[in-house]
Amino acid sequence: MDLKKLEGIIEGILFAAGDRVSMERICSIIGIDKKTVKLVINNMIVNYNNNPSRGISIREINNGYQMCSKPEYYDYLKLLFEPKQKTGLSQAALETLAIIAYNRPITKAKIENIRGVNSDSAVARLLERNLIKEAGKLDAPGKPILYETTDEFFRSFGFKGDSDLPIFELNEMQEQPDNNSEE
Amino acid sequence: MESALSKACTIKIQNFEGPFDLLFHLIEKNKINIYDIPINEITDQYMDYLFKMQELDMEVASEFLVMAATLLHIKSRLLLPNPRQDEKEEIDPREELVLKLVEYKRYKRFTEILKQREQEGDKYFYKGPEDIDIKHVDEPIELSYDEIKRVYLELLERNEKKMNKNTGKMTQIIQTEKVSLRSKIKEVINTLLKRSFFRFSELFSPKTKSRLEIVTGFLAILELTKLKKITITQQKQFSEIMVYKRDDTNLEDTDKNKIAAENS
Repeated sequence: MDLKKLEGIIEGILFAAGDRVSMERICSIIGIDKKTVKLVINNMIVNYNNNPSRGISIREINNGYQMCSKPEYYDYLKLLFEPKQKTGLSQAALETLAIIAYNRPITKAKIENIRGVNSDSAVARLLERNLIKEAGKLDAPGKPILYETTDEFFRSFGFKGDSDLPIFELNEMQEQPDNNSEE
Repeated sequence: MESALSKACTIKIQNFEGPFDLLFHLIEKNKINIYDIPINEITDQYMDYLFKMQELDMEVASEFLVMAATLLHIKSRLLLPNPRQDEKEEIDPREELVLKLVEYKRYKRFTEILKQREQEGDKYFYKGPEDIDIKHVDEPIELSYDEIKRVYLELLERNEKKMNKNTGKMTQIIQTEKVSLRSKIKEVINTLLKRSFFRFSELFSPKTKSRLEIVTGFLAILELTKLKKITITQQKQFSEIMVYKRDDTNLEDTDKNKIAAENS
């Protein structure tokens, strides 16, 4: 299949889907491998972004892709909508989210252990905002609920996937929670 | 009252997320090396802050008190000589606290990144998914005059039967019919022992069987299919269901499975 046609099909898929479409899904629909899809889409993204006459682009979200408007034109596009009181996340909620993002899936008890404070309302707020979701239960006494981040998290904060999370001293970071949990 | 109010106006009390947050604030304010915390000073400042909170009638969350106790505990351990000093290398009582602080600090840094990215992320607009209906191409219905007639007659017959039931034998309505899955499975098996396949409507026709029996009969063939005893096929929607015996299984020994089917 020639490149132009591939791009066209992918553009069509992403337009029709509206939502994030996983890499696997695109591959299975077109019947080509991930590597090719990635190359083609990256090429499309470059073309979109270099062309001021395009108002849309494609964004990688949690190892999938979704169409979006260009952030450069945000100042115009926002006039299209009624301004709504934007309720940002509280410090507590962001902290909790940060912990979940690196330790998913994780229980509330573990989060509270790291934060040192009760995190009920922060977790509730994140669930409400669809930034985290329940991910089964831990096989431990009391069967505590495990939480993990959602696609919405990756979309809202613009992370392409797990590997896209900043890795500041991540190695140390992973060792230390273990030390603490043993105490 | 007045003094408390004026204090509230002059002292800027930061709102801390928790004891770790407060401890950090103190460490940064005093430019302390986190790996060598002067517990004495920090504890004093920490306690000061708690007292201030109480003065201002702020509710002190229990977590802050737990941390206060922890700090005091560490302080006392540092002051008292360790009786088992010779046994093994002394562990710094501050270690656990420091490790936790360092870990918390990292997440706090990531929190700052999240905060920035949240604002960036708001500049993208997405279209939500829409419900796009893809119409199924309807297959042309092949119906002969005879078939329509047959269906119509069947319908009449069925209705007639229903009417008869309701009007003639009113007592039947109250009686509950008992149709067991087991009996229907047996019926299907018995039929298949005689021949290799049958049409579902042959055995379970509305003419000869009650609705409950037909439904149970349907459940029976589903169950037997699940047990890999029979194969069922249907060419298209609402067409005849064909029930086939499977060659690779012995229908005679279905008994044990039947019990399992009834339990499940």
